[in-house]
Amino acid sequence: MTDTTMKSAAPPARIGRHRLGLIALGLVLAALFVIPVAIGDEFVYHIFITICIFAALSTAWNIVGGYAGQLSLGHAIFYGIGAYAGVILVNMGISPWIGMFAGAAVAVVAAIVVSYPCFRLHGPFFALATIAFLEVFRVLALHFRELTGGATGLMIPLKIGWEWMVFRERLPALVIAFGMLLVCLGVAWAIRSRRLGFHLVATRERESAARAAGVGTVKVRLIAVAVSAALSAMVGTFHAMYLTFIEPASMFSLQLSIQIAMFALIGGIGTVWGPLLGAVLLVPITEFARGALGAEAIGLHGFVYGVVLMLVVLFMPNGIMGVLSRFASGHREATGDEPDTHIAAVARSDAAPRIGDPVLRVEGLQKHFGGLHVTNDVGFTLREGEILGLIGPNGAGKTTVFNMLSGFLKPDRGRVSLLGPDGEWHDPASPGDFAALGLGRTFQIVQPFAAMTVEENIMVGAFHRHHAVSDAREAARETAHRMGLGRYLQDEANSLTVGGLKRLEVARVMAMKPRVLLLDEVMAGINRTDVKRAVDLMLSIRETGVSIIAIEHVMQAVMALSDRVIVLSSGEIIAQGDPQEVVRDPHVIEAYLGKEFANA
Amino acid sequence: MQTFLQIIANGLMLGGLFAIVAVGLTLIFGIVKVVNFAHGEFLMVGMYLTFLLTTGLGVHPYATAVAVIPILFVLGAVTQRLLIQPLMQARDEHIQIFATVGLSTALINLALLIFGADIANTPNYGVRSQIEIGPVRILEGQLWIFLAAILLVIGLQLFLARTNTGRAIRATAQNRAAARLMGINDRFIYVLTFGIGAACVGFGSALIAPLYPTSPTIGTYFVLIAFVIVVLGGLGSIPGAFFGALIIGLVDALSGFYIGSDLREAVVFGIFLVILILKPSGLFGTRVSQSHVSP
Repeated sequence: MTDTTMKSAAPPARIGRHRLGLIALGLVLAALFVIPVAIGDEFVYHIFITICIFAALSTAWNIVGGYAGQLSLGHAIFYGIGAYAGVILVNMGISPWIGMFAGAAVAVVAAIVVSYPCFRLHGPFFALATIAFLEVFRVLALHFRELTGGATGLMIPLKIGWEWMVFRERLPALVIAFGMLLVCLGVAWAIRSRRLGFHLVATRERESAARAAGVGTVKVRLIAVAVSAALSAMVGTFHAMYLTFIEPASMFSLQLSIQIAMFALIGGIGTVWGPLLGAVLLVPITEFARGALGAEAIGLHGFVYGVVLMLVVLFMPNGIMGVLSRFASGHREATGDEPDTHIAAVARSDAAPRIGDPVLRVEGLQKHFGGLHVTNDVGFTLREGEILGLIGPNGAGKTTVFNMLSGFLKPDRGRVSLLGPDGEWHDPASPGDFAALGLGRTFQIVQPFAAMTVEENIMVGAFHRHHAVSDAREAARETAHRMGLGRYLQDEANSLTVGGLKRLEVARVMAMKPRVLLLDEVMAGINRTDVKRAVDLMLSIRETGVSIIAIEHVMQAVMALSDRVIVLSSGEIIAQGDPQEVVRDPHVIEAYLGKEFANA
Repeated sequence: MQTFLQIIANGLMLGGLFAIVAVGLTLIFGIVKVVNFAHGEFLMVGMYLTFLLTTGLGVHPYATAVAVIPILFVLGAVTQRLLIQPLMQARDEHIQIFATVGLSTALINLALLIFGADIANTPNYGVRSQIEIGPVRILEGQLWIFLAAILLVIGLQLFLARTNTGRAIRATAQNRAAARLMGINDRFIYVLTFGIGAACVGFGSALIAPLYPTSPTIGTYFVLIAFVIVVLGGLGSIPGAFFGALIIGLVDALSGFYIGSDLREAVVFGIFLVILILKPSGLFGTRVSQSHVSP
């Protein structure tokens, strides 16, 4: 087989496998409804209704635990709120169809109140905090007997019919459970495939890079938590009607919270379909153990769950979907041509650069880290279309200055003002504010979104100015080709080389189309040809009126690029001006090489 | 006044009990940097072992510690070697959480399968008898637990500060790569530390079993409180865990009397959330997210 045939054959094959996968998943979904109806057995109905409920809960959980990466082990809070709201309102004569929205509203408020302060906690501590909140809710539900019936629980009145979500037959209950599962899957799919989903995953993978790309990281996570809580509460309302009896211990249950998360993990955390698969495989074990073996088997299903969970984390941490997608994607063929791996050569006009009015003003920046004075009275102005080189020995405080110029660090004293697109001067405070005013930055230590492809990484930047996925994809592709990343579009970001990651870092920020660009050592790790092309690329970017500040150690690039150079040493500006003159300044030589070289 | 003193005494005794559970948890967290969600189940396993040995052999429950401590050490070491070690490099820290959550779920349900949901009462050999200390009355067993907790904390501190193994453990916790360069076998240190952490709770379970009825879910209650204490005392700080435990014991006893016994947990977890959110380094910790064994 020749190279060309492979190239043309590979993409359709992959699409074919992908479509096959979707069809298989569609069949699984359809089977959830068809099998119980076909068999018609009460017990089978019960199992499938329970699968639908848990799959729906797990899918809702996955929006927070998977997409946003906030490992909640307290999701029973929202399920319980929905259940109690539904039953309490039914006892007051209000239909659960209304009650479920009331429950969802309460759950959304609870979710925001609970989550907002917890977002600064990471990993296990977020999980612990959610467990603690769950315990508090359970204790309060036990305490306020007048409202919740306390430990004795609440029964629903025996009112039968669609209006009350209570039925003699099982079919209508299955219809509702299945419908809820479809709603949850639909919402989860919609979020994942839109801008919000990209923002959530970007936030999960690299919070600071996401903030630099203008993502409102707190806002998107709050939206995710609110949506997830609302869905969980609605499922909770229906499940309460189905169970006909609720009590705090089973509604606000840690075991239930763990199970919901477990299904998602086993199926494939962060994927749209994973939670469904996890529930389909595991729920029957519980229900069979309970139904067929009775009291003798108490603990058996839980034991199996625990063992399966340990085996999954050890041997297939990406869950069932991880295994399936390995089959689906097959071998990845090399596509594209060799030149594509280099930064595209750009034609530049040789017209003298037009340097315009100031766009960024930095005044008297001071920063201390404990006793260390890392920035001492740094001030300068950046003009439109100017390229400013920021150089200095290691530890001079260059990156700290960048962090203050992009809102990641608050200066102890001094101010950073940015000219907005509206022609007014602003004093932005957060990375989001800076990004909104058109400032983009890269990170010295590259911050790829590891779980995303190269294309998706760049799309996160492109979403800064595009709302629709297709527009962002288009912009990302165009940027990728310019940065010589065209052939890697569908690769995992992690598979790139250091040089590739540096280019990805630049591509992401370029896709934002910033007016002011802060580049932190982007030439490091790029080969000589590419350095030259990168220099040309930056010059061409500048010609479009973009102002650039570049921290750089590759002197070849600094000299070729910069209209002006600032030398930072021990937190102070020791020299600035024309590049050729600055490098001859004895102070600069001393700062880099030591005193004895200063007069050499 | 009499009542108040009695409540304080109860709180301190409860604190001693919490301390003996929390010390191992904070040790594992401080060194291995894994939040062991199965720690409570280690306690449960230890209590069942004490129950079985006491009823089977007819010995004093405290004497079972001779067997329970080594068994728990092995359980902890095996957990680290087989479950945690392969996941130490995991990119996603969720994986480690799920691993210990899975272990916890499996152990609880295994106990349910073997012993059923009924509680098991370990013969108490008189440690439930009351003794009077000044104006207050406490159980003899509680006093032993309190003294044992103090001994355990001092012993662990001495071990970590004075022995070569202890220094190796602290070095590994502070900088794993540097410790390896100094010739320390970091994997062995982790296995050892996890074992010691589990052995601590094994020691505790021999003392706790005669006072508390054993059930499959007994660990869940204690481990949640232990997490509160570990965060309160500063992650990885053993003296911090001890004083944190005394504070939580007092809060539990006081809120149980003055606010209502059904709301005790809400108060304790409320304090936990406030600490976690406002001062994640804990009351006695000074450095955030940097583990330190000694304060």
